[in-house]
Amino acid sequence: MKYYNLGEINWKQTQLIYHALAQLEMEGLVLDSPDSRYVSLGLHQDPRDEIDFEYCKDNDIGIFRREIGGGTVLLDSRQVFFNLILKRNRDGVSRVPENFFRKFLRPVTRALKELGMDAEYRPICDLVINEKKISGNGGGEIGYCRVLAGGIMLDFDREMMARALKCSGPLKQMYIEHMKINLTTVREELGYIPPKEKICSLLIEKFSELLGPMTEGTIDAAVFEKMKELDQHYSSDRWMYQRGVKQLGREIKVKEGVYLFYHAFAIPGGETGITFEISEERIEKISFDEPHNFHPILRNEMEKKIIGLNYDSRKIIDIVCTMIEKNNN
Amino acid sequence: MLEINGMNFPLDRVYYTRDGAHIWLKQEDDLIKIGMDAFLVEYAGYLTFLTVNESRVKVGESIGSFESAKFVSRLYSPADGEIVAVNDEVIKNPRKINEAPYESWIFAVKADSAVLDGESEYLLDDEEKIVKWISEEIKKVEEDE
Repeated sequence: MKYYNLGEINWKQTQLIYHALAQLEMEGLVLDSPDSRYVSLGLHQDPRDEIDFEYCKDNDIGIFRREIGGGTVLLDSRQVFFNLILKRNRDGVSRVPENFFRKFLRPVTRALKELGMDAEYRPICDLVINEKKISGNGGGEIGYCRVLAGGIMLDFDREMMARALKCSGPLKQMYIEHMKINLTTVREELGYIPPKEKICSLLIEKFSELLGPMTEGTIDAAVFEKMKELDQHYSSDRWMYQRGVKQLGREIKVKEGVYLFYHAFAIPGGETGITFEISEERIEKISFDEPHNFHPILRNEMEKKIIGLNYDSRKIIDIVCTMIEKNNN
Repeated sequence: MLEINGMNFPLDRVYYTRDGAHIWLKQEDDLIKIGMDAFLVEYAGYLTFLTVNESRVKVGESIGSFESAKFVSRLYSPADGEIVAVNDEVIKNPRKINEAPYESWIFAVKADSAVLDGESEYLLDDEEKIVKWISEEIKKVEEDE
């Protein structure tokens, strides 16, 4: 198998390269970093629901909607990306997401350990150090390949991540606080950032141990041509704004098991928002945008009924709507 | 109803197996309703998104996608034809498929020609063949772990 150790490249090319290789059914490991910042959305996300366009425009933040799964992430040159492209029918390439992530994230865990960080895999697809996420990942089928796309955070601008998202000010602030608690970076763990070349060499070494010897590849004309073709497609409004399924409320994932979920509920005379903080897949806290909209007894009842429940956004909405309706009657 | 390793496979329908598709087809009048089988649901985990993007479909081609556990998989058509209905209920809430895969059809196709005539090697309705196929699929998953 080939590896493509590309260093810092144009931000959009960091996405186009693995899409192109997968479309061409060329297996490989791609390591790179973008030369400027951008947000990357999962296939099923709609930028109109996810992104603060004005903030992104004012801060030169590009936008890309990828073919694979996961949520919206802010990416920049302070991250090292690893993309693994494998044919679907290759032995050992599991179709079960957890098996796929567990197996192909192992080399990344080992590279981080060798750098002096006690990284561990957390299902479904996080790598954590002392329960703080250092690497977020997503995957999916592109053409006849299965692709793992992930990154190691060397340093991370939590505030910019929150500001790039479309959500209310208080929710952004809450998101920043949760990221402080639940995310970490190489700089925060080691006190310095090792050279990217060293990190990439380790990744190549560890992936070779799993997948067999790798040789260095270069991006040839056919791949460039495919990237050019895909660029047109992925830059088009038709692709970017292809209407996905409208989501109920606003969910922001911080790390595996930790989410913020916001929903505006209809009340007599308008609507009011409630934010649910979820930890280890359970509702941990409820915050009301305008507490005065609910009688203290009702707020207390809601907290009693909802806190501790397993996170299921639909069920939460149903419970709150029923309680509001009952209270109004 | 056939039960294999705790997964149910009703015998009132046909199973499409190409490229690990795990799709069921059920003839209802002149339409074929299509959904995901228990194996797919069991191993994919909770479905978070489901889309059907095409209206004309060709056998073996991707016609949409679904996501579970931050992994996007493609939905492949088992027939040539035209999609005449999409089940909005499961598009809006794909978890319904996890809860009841055989009641949660995804789309209905008006096929260009007879599909369920038993000629395709990728369509199974025979109990023995289904048992063999699912057993092999389980073995494959276990080997990949």
